[in-house]
Amino acid sequence: MTWLNQLLSRRRLYDDLSEEIQQHLEEKIEELVARGMSRSDAIAAARREFGNVSLTEEESREVWQWPSIESFVADIGFGARTLRKSLAFTAIAAFTLALGIGANTAIFSLVNGILLVPLPYPEPDRLVSITGAYPEGALVAMREQVHTMDVGAYAEGHDLNLTGRGEPVRLTATLMSAELFSILKAHAELGRVFEHGEDVPGKDNYVILSHALWQQQFQGDATIIGRPIELEGVGREVVGVMPADFRFPSAKTQIWVPLHNDPGSVSTYWAGDYMPVIGRLRPEATMRQAHAEIRMFQAHAGALFPWPMPASWNADVSVVPLQNGMVADVRLRLLLLLAAVGMVLLIACTNVANLTLSRTATREKEFALRAAMGAGRRRIMRQLLTESVLLASIGGLLGLAFALEGLAFLKSLLPADTPQLMTVHMDWRVLAFTAGLAILTGIFVGLAPALQVSRGALITSLKSGGRGTAVSVSQRLRSALVVSEIALAVLLVIAAGLMIRSFWALSHLNPGFHPEHILTARITPDESFCDDALRCLTFYRTVLDKVQSLPGVSGAAFVNTLPLGGRVSKRSLNIENHVDTPGETAPLFWLNVVTPDYFRVMGIPVLSGRGFEDSDVSGAPVAVVTAETARRFWPDQNAVGKHIRLLDDKDWRTIVGVISDVRAYDLQHNAPTWIDGTAYVPYNPLATLENKRVPSEMTIAIRSTTEGSQLAALLRESVASLSNEVPVSEVQTMDAVVSGAVSTPAATTSLFVAFASLALALGIIGIYGVLSYLVSQRTRELGLRVALGAQRRDVLYLVMKEGAKFSLTGIAIGLVSAVLVTRLMASELYGVSPLDPLTYLAVALVMAAVAFLACYVPTRRAMRVDPVVALRYE
Amino acid sequence: MTKSDQRDLFPGALEMMILRTLKRQRLHGYALVQHIKRTSNDLLEIEEGSLYPALQRLLKAELVKAEWGVSSTNRRVRTYGLTKAGAKHLEQEVSRFERMLDGITRVLAADES
Repeated sequence: MTWLNQLLSRRRLYDDLSEEIQQHLEEKIEELVARGMSRSDAIAAARREFGNVSLTEEESREVWQWPSIESFVADIGFGARTLRKSLAFTAIAAFTLALGIGANTAIFSLVNGILLVPLPYPEPDRLVSITGAYPEGALVAMREQVHTMDVGAYAEGHDLNLTGRGEPVRLTATLMSAELFSILKAHAELGRVFEHGEDVPGKDNYVILSHALWQQQFQGDATIIGRPIELEGVGREVVGVMPADFRFPSAKTQIWVPLHNDPGSVSTYWAGDYMPVIGRLRPEATMRQAHAEIRMFQAHAGALFPWPMPASWNADVSVVPLQNGMVADVRLRLLLLLAAVGMVLLIACTNVANLTLSRTATREKEFALRAAMGAGRRRIMRQLLTESVLLASIGGLLGLAFALEGLAFLKSLLPADTPQLMTVHMDWRVLAFTAGLAILTGIFVGLAPALQVSRGALITSLKSGGRGTAVSVSQRLRSALVVSEIALAVLLVIAAGLMIRSFWALSHLNPGFHPEHILTARITPDESFCDDALRCLTFYRTVLDKVQSLPGVSGAAFVNTLPLGGRVSKRSLNIENHVDTPGETAPLFWLNVVTPDYFRVMGIPVLSGRGFEDSDVSGAPVAVVTAETARRFWPDQNAVGKHIRLLDDKDWRTIVGVISDVRAYDLQHNAPTWIDGTAYVPYNPLATLENKRVPSEMTIAIRSTTEGSQLAALLRESVASLSNEVPVSEVQTMDAVVSGAVSTPAATTSLFVAFASLALALGIIGIYGVLSYLVSQRTRELGLRVALGAQRRDVLYLVMKEGAKFSLTGIAIGLVSAVLVTRLMASELYGVSPLDPLTYLAVALVMAAVAFLACYVPTRRAMRVDPVVALRYE
Repeated sequence: MTKSDQRDLFPGALEMMILRTLKRQRLHGYALVQHIKRTSNDLLEIEEGSLYPALQRLLKAELVKAEWGVSSTNRRVRTYGLTKAGAKHLEQEVSRFERMLDGITRVLAADES
């Protein structure tokens, strides 16, 4: 008999069976009656000897079934009917779970896409990141001396002008070692990638376009390969176009340019970009060997430099998988968020478990009846678990829909240069995660009720007509659930509170300048334009004159590195009478090159001495330093009147003023840790950077009452009237620059706040639900008490005591776990300790107040208990 | 009431007794259970109902075949008879059981000496 036949003929088989058993019983009864037994006794005896009829039938039928699957299907059918019967419960529970599962799915999609999905290069597990940063010279040495891997470096933050094709365009370029493409095993969509040796002077005149740039600027023209395009006024041959899914190091890069490894130009070769280095392990090598080799290389790498290097340089270098290396700073944030949503889901589960528990209590009679019909305890538990898993699956599907919506939003919150962000999507891993989560959730939710259904309790329940003694067991369980729910909510709200405090501190700190009413824009002639420094200076002077005459403009100035603009310009200095620590290099400064009005336009206060004046441009060489720098190099003295000298300059500069500190690097730091001080010099031919040239790319800051976009248009016009080859880019208000600097903490904070509010809301519902249930269970007892003369006050005290007991326990546990856990987020916090007493106290108070309110409503109901009504239930 | 209660015997014992009984004559369920009870001198306290799942298992394995008919008491009954495979299976089971019994007896005897 095939399975199909079996399936079709099963109905008949079952009917036969029922009839057969029926006949069996009747034959038995007849025989017993014939022996002189009364008919009713005979029926009872026959049934006794036969055993459980329905169970026998069920077991006989099971012979023909795939037992586990079919009873599972039956369970699902029954579960679905049960859930449909109580729509309100189902809707609330499924929605609660959907919120939890949806939030988890969305965050997990990010974690999956950014941290888990292998990098989109062949054999990604052989790719490594060498922590630390190396200039070209050190990289070339490493390439020659390291044998366990092939290494290459890249440098971001290099923008180039694309000209000769109408309006000039500013492109985001990434400089690459020629070998880097083959290390990644990346192939061009069109043409070829860079080849070995194409990153040295004379052989490096090539570029590779991104797919997007090729489409936008060159209309996907395949004949572009082999043709030159004009970058920074220099023709460079396009050798390749990368496929659309090649996004290295992030989707921001539009064009790749080879490094220019020129040992002759000492300053850029040894002190230009300090670049991240990545490598591919050679076939026989292991990560451990590579690590050991890099440590050996590092031990003598400092000696290669033409000047002494501090021993601390890359001292803790190591070799890590590339994926970890590239996302190091997003990692913690994502994992924190995952932990937070995990807690939200736990709370949601607890809530639904509680709901289910009280529903199970009302269904006790049903279960007792089923047990009496021969359903085993395990069978009923399985039924309950099936029901809750079904419920969680509905929640999971709904959650998936939420997550689809939420993911796009989440992606927009993360910084655009997060590696792999563009490729984040829901793949099978996410779906598997969600499915697994839904099933686990279902089991978790169903476990408590299932455990509660003990045979003993059921029988008692049937006897007492549903007002069972199982209440005390389930009440303990419910209280435990609610305590943990409150504890989790407290933990999450404290975490969110700390994030809010930190964010508030960040956004209210004084950046050292006044960003209001300032428009900024990057104005970038080709580098060769400034071969003649005077021509360059004149150009900027003219732009400034034109802008200052625009209506509504009260001041304008140029600076090479705008505060919070993401650029640092470093320059070594000598300091008069400053004894260098032996073996150390000259102090490394952040050198700001500005036009005289800069401090006034930006609203940076001059603390002592004076700011720059027009006469400083052509007069004796001068400089201004920040307060922090003055304190560091001239402690207990007035820095004004002291002297500094740009390395290799002839003349000393006189410090004419000390300005207040500016949060230039990010909102928490005036400068990166490897910078020793900050100085400002007026923009003139002496204001040279490390490459001994005056800065050719400047940012203009315009203080004006004119509306931004109108002013921007006027600015573009003014620049275009001077040259049609100079792009104006990065036009944004200074306010936008500042809020850009807090956008990541803002995103993290708002997510934490959202999750914490969810946790809080669910927590309140939890307390309310449990207490309401408690009151309804004790109505009779309370009525009795009132009948015996208890005052309203006593009833109030009685119920509130219960509520307070688990609220306060939950709050206490939450506070303790917060003390233990919040230190994990210390690095995400600014200006507030993870143990901030104020936050803890406030959250404890708020939680207590909220818990009190949640208790109050059921308590009032308890106080109104009419003894007569209550006792009538008897 | 659970499965383990009703089969105090070793697994397969009930099936073996059913096959042995049916080898002699075709019987319907009620007669079958009465026969087993009687021949075992009521020593085997089996629940009458436990017979039916066992019969269904044998039916599915095609060791017995069933036919609807009319009994001597003029009752519509389903009678069971052994198939060829059933007879063969019984032989195997009986010899297996005897070997097992033999082994058990030896162990018990060895224990006493």
